[in-house]
Amino acid sequence: MIDFKPADEETLLLKETAERFVADHYELALRNVMLTASAGRRPARWAEMADLGWLAAPVGEDAGGLGLTPKQVVPFLSVLGAGLVLEPIGPVAMHCAPTLARALSSTRAEAVLASVLSGESIELIAAGPAGAPVKAGREGDDIVLTGTIPLVIGGAQASVFWIVADCEGVPFLVPVPAEKVWVEEFPLIDGQSAAKVSLQGARCSAADAVTDCEEALAYGNDLAMVGKLAELTGLIDRLYRKTLDYMKLREQFGRPLGRFQVVQHRMADMFIKREEAQSMVDMAAEAMTGEDVALRSKLVAAAQVKIYDNARAVLRDAVQLHGGMGVTDELPVGHMVKRMLMLTQLDGGRQAALGKFRKAA
Amino acid sequence: MTDLLNSAEDQAFRQEIRDFVSAELHPETRAKVSRGAPMTRDDFARWQESLHAKGWVAPAWPKEHGGPGWTARERIVADEELFRLHTPPLPGFGLKMIGPILIQFGSPEQQQRFLPRILSGEDWWCQGFSEPGAGSDLASLKTKAERTEGGWLVSGSKTWTTYAQYANWIFCLVRTDPEVKKQEGISMMLIDMSLPGVSRRPIRLMDGTEEVNEIFLDQVFVPDDLVVGEINKGWTYAKALLEHERFGIGGIGRSKHLLQRVREAAQSTGRADDPEIANALDTLEIDVMAIEATTLRLLAAVEAGVKIGAETSLLKIRGTEIQQALTELMLDIAGPAALPTRDSVGVQEPFENAMYQFLNWRKLSIYGGSNEIQRSILATQVLGLK
Repeated sequence: MIDFKPADEETLLLKETAERFVADHYELALRNVMLTASAGRRPARWAEMADLGWLAAPVGEDAGGLGLTPKQVVPFLSVLGAGLVLEPIGPVAMHCAPTLARALSSTRAEAVLASVLSGESIELIAAGPAGAPVKAGREGDDIVLTGTIPLVIGGAQASVFWIVADCEGVPFLVPVPAEKVWVEEFPLIDGQSAAKVSLQGARCSAADAVTDCEEALAYGNDLAMVGKLAELTGLIDRLYRKTLDYMKLREQFGRPLGRFQVVQHRMADMFIKREEAQSMVDMAAEAMTGEDVALRSKLVAAAQVKIYDNARAVLRDAVQLHGGMGVTDELPVGHMVKRMLMLTQLDGGRQAALGKFRKAA
Repeated sequence: MTDLLNSAEDQAFRQEIRDFVSAELHPETRAKVSRGAPMTRDDFARWQESLHAKGWVAPAWPKEHGGPGWTARERIVADEELFRLHTPPLPGFGLKMIGPILIQFGSPEQQQRFLPRILSGEDWWCQGFSEPGAGSDLASLKTKAERTEGGWLVSGSKTWTTYAQYANWIFCLVRTDPEVKKQEGISMMLIDMSLPGVSRRPIRLMDGTEEVNEIFLDQVFVPDDLVVGEINKGWTYAKALLEHERFGIGGIGRSKHLLQRVREAAQSTGRADDPEIANALDTLEIDVMAIEATTLRLLAAVEAGVKIGAETSLLKIRGTEIQQALTELMLDIAGPAALPTRDSVGVQEPFENAMYQFLNWRKLSIYGGSNEIQRSILATQVLGLK
């Protein structure tokens, strides 16, 4: 059952920590300096993020997390997305940690997650692209992994990859230390660091493999998607507000642009798209707590389609209405646009999302 | 189509509605609604009688005036379920417009005289707002009321008056003071349509129906006790009218009903697997979800004490855009099967009404404040662009 109650106290406190962090560390000029360095050479803020409770927020208390609901973490992730934060918060806090918390026995989860939630080590879920999963073979007590994962956000900083490997069509999870795989770092269009991860006969102990984890993987994928949609919603909101401010300020033909009806109507449409995005991310976050797995996936996919569409529309109009300034790298607009494009492309875009929606029906 | 409101209470309530409808809805009416055929006065009257007997005819009215005492959430569920079960949507001129206005601003005598007859359907109301020279710019209306012994003499003309042919009463905005700012010289009056001086000309629409009319008023006498509230406050009352059920203007039930019909049409003609049709159908289903989620989020905000004003204009804009897109998708699926005229031997099921509904529903983005007016309202009142 979907409940749209406004944010509670805990939600707002977490959101404030994100607002302070962005204000302190992500001023545009500072961020531009960071972008000139590879991820390993950027200021180390991971421990600070862990101290703020960000990594543990959506993980259940029995696994050592704070046990916040998906809906409670949406606003803080929106702020980090809008703030163009470069650290891989989403992949760790919304994907890896909650997936492991569900896939592992509670004692093992607590042990494994201790160093992840404290920020000591960065661990990531890594799965091959659709149609080309990482292949697993058995050799005695070992599992031998072969495959290439073309894009893992934060991959260059990770110490452990939880590889989603394929055993005759059934997925399982197995942890592989970073030194056993080939990691090639590259920057994404939005400045985040990613890596290509190649496994050429990487060997690990079969005793470490986690089977029976399909449900946990599906849950983790949906939760990670809610995190990405929260970021997109934050970006849509910030881009809308920046554009609105500019329309009130910028004068041409002797009056502010916002006095022209054609501009007013386009801004009204941008407002509508922002409201719809907010509603859909709340709906998807609420759906995460429901028991009906098919409904959960369906609603998350619906939110994905709608928010992708609205993000595209908002970024197009925001650039257009900013005029020449909209196509420069000097305003936050261009940086937000690139982040939005990254987020909407990452999981295959609109058609893939629509396909998920149809399959869940 | 997924229901977002599906708690145990919602489900039980839906079941109660289903039981009621299966016992009460005339099969012929049901069949017509399920095909998108136009409704007659009898279709409406018969269904209104059933709803009235059950106490469900005016979902948003307070209990003391004959409403069922439903919450906003229950009203959304009821609306959705009644549409899904192919019940005819009753015209809102009495039940959703003048009724709530009289409850809020009418005299006790007006309430006692009119409200029970609105509920029962004994009185049919129509709306006299638009004029040939005052459409989107409604406040420039010219129908004038001149003071006379014990009341007013009203002259002018009104247009786009839906179902005036069935109505015995009309509520009108008239100019009672031509000297002041245009919004401040308008009053609302209740006019008996059988009076001398009231005449009607039907307007034939492009779908061939005569759903709307022009109304002429020539020195029609309106006694003082049929003026609503205070003289020259009519504009305020008209704006309040737009506030009523503003969370319902997304037309979620209506959209879901049409979506269900379009899906069925695609399936029955083997077009459902055509990727373009499937994409369009799923996209529109998601669009409806976004309106529903937004409606529920705004309602939750109101319940938590947040003030929501003109934001609800977005529900009207998106709701009507979606509904029009659905009528268009139905045409895409139909192809030439949409061309034979209704009731002719050329009719091809299930597309008998596809073209008519497309033509008829062009009105959705025009009436009730055109979508351009709604965007201007959002821009000036919510975004602060002025």
